[in-house]
Amino acid sequence: MAAIAVHQLAQSITCHAWSPDHSMVAVCPNNNEVHIYRLLQDKWEKMHVLQKHDQIVSGVDWSARSNRIVTASHDRNSYVWNLEGSEWVPTLVILRLNRAALCVQWSPKENKFAVGSGAKTVCVCYYEQENNWWVSKLIRKRHDSSVTSVAWHPNNILLATASTDGKCRVFSTFIKGVDPKDSRTGPSSDSKFGEQIVQLDLSFSWSFGVKWSPSGNTLAYVGHNSMIYFVDDVGPSPLAQNVAFRDLPLRDVIFVSERLVIGVGFDCNPMVFGADERGIWSFLRFLERKRTSSGPKYGSQFSEAFGKLYGQSKHGVGNDGIEPSRSRGGVHENFINCVVPLRESGKSTATRFSTSGMDGKVVIWDLENQTDLSDYL
Amino acid sequence: MAGTGEFVEADNAEAIITRIEHKSRKIESLLKQYKPVEALKTALEGSPPNTRDERCKSANWIVVHRAIMAIKDVDGMFSSLDPEYYDILMKYLYRGLSTGDRPTCDQCLRIHEKLTERAGLGCILRSLADTVNTV
Repeated sequence: MAAIAVHQLAQSITCHAWSPDHSMVAVCPNNNEVHIYRLLQDKWEKMHVLQKHDQIVSGVDWSARSNRIVTASHDRNSYVWNLEGSEWVPTLVILRLNRAALCVQWSPKENKFAVGSGAKTVCVCYYEQENNWWVSKLIRKRHDSSVTSVAWHPNNILLATASTDGKCRVFSTFIKGVDPKDSRTGPSSDSKFGEQIVQLDLSFSWSFGVKWSPSGNTLAYVGHNSMIYFVDDVGPSPLAQNVAFRDLPLRDVIFVSERLVIGVGFDCNPMVFGADERGIWSFLRFLERKRTSSGPKYGSQFSEAFGKLYGQSKHGVGNDGIEPSRSRGGVHENFINCVVPLRESGKSTATRFSTSGMDGKVVIWDLENQTDLSDYL
Repeated sequence: MAGTGEFVEADNAEAIITRIEHKSRKIESLLKQYKPVEALKTALEGSPPNTRDERCKSANWIVVHRAIMAIKDVDGMFSSLDPEYYDILMKYLYRGLSTGDRPTCDQCLRIHEKLTERAGLGCILRSLADTVNTV
């Protein structure tokens, strides 16, 4: 069994993040709060409630070394939370946005974080010691629509974004006084803040879930048209691969290793993609093998798909009759919108990861015993 | 990708129409030889999704429609139709369904059923989500 633990923490979860030692998890139960749970004797106990936002929290990230939490919300603001004693103390970050913030991510060195927003902009925020204040710098011009996902390159400078205009872009986020001068290498060697390194024009519909591979050599993102895109040699002449698959679209991805990618989304079951020796990516299989073959009754699959698209939860009343077909006997009973690697410090591969979705579950998966995938790790 | 788009835009509509007429004659002769699947492949090949010219799209639809309606054995067709044609065929099936013409819709639904079994819901999503390369 690939799923090693299932935790029902809320009715519905918009995003989650783990503490540095993976003993605590911060989840947003689809409202303006973030709940922090700790596992005590096989039971999850609610330790803290972070309550400062006015609207739904759309993104949360917990930094691995500095133990800080950053949240982004539809109320157009971000907070950086520091643990002081036993209390989480918020610091407001004014993003200067006029639309909702949609996603947030700490940079690898944790001296910056990036926020994607519905205002067609990306904010890169950094701490100013002398003013004791987080400053937000905006990348305004390039995006033609909402920025749904951001991902930091391991070099702490390059930032990839996915947007509902269908494009994936890579920017330099070099900030004078924050980043050391010699940190600019490769294609970004003399680029200023906000300079676009490359624009990838592969998808004709919304794109989501952009991620870099552990080395930063490969970029992956998904389109809302049941496609996943892999890009090597990100720079002036990128090499792109489009992989179409036969099931519902993905929403987010992670790299487990350089050659193995997990995608989660509307099919409620994580998908595994792998690259062969020549670097050709393909769909390998679903992570859970319990799927019954979809015979001639795809009619029910349709209603199932629409149910999922409208985010009907399993708890809906009166449709018990179609429940078994909807959940398909899988661990997740509704669409998965968040996947987080559980990376042990010092390791580049993450065989463990967690997913959360509209069914309110946080599921931990382990690829250790998946013998057919061990070649890709 | 952008490169091919510019190429087709530069290519004038007349040339595309001429190509489609040529294709149409080839399809007629294939149908006479009882090769409906070959005819369908020919019809789907080189369809002009990148152009915005409605005349080209309509002309190609007439050709594809002719080939679709000639398919009698749907299962047999899929055993010799390569997966690379699935996405473009799905787009034309939806164009067929949008006509509202009874025999066309009947035929399109029959093929749609089998195509969904083979190509999955992802194929439907790709044809619905793509608002740029319409047929």
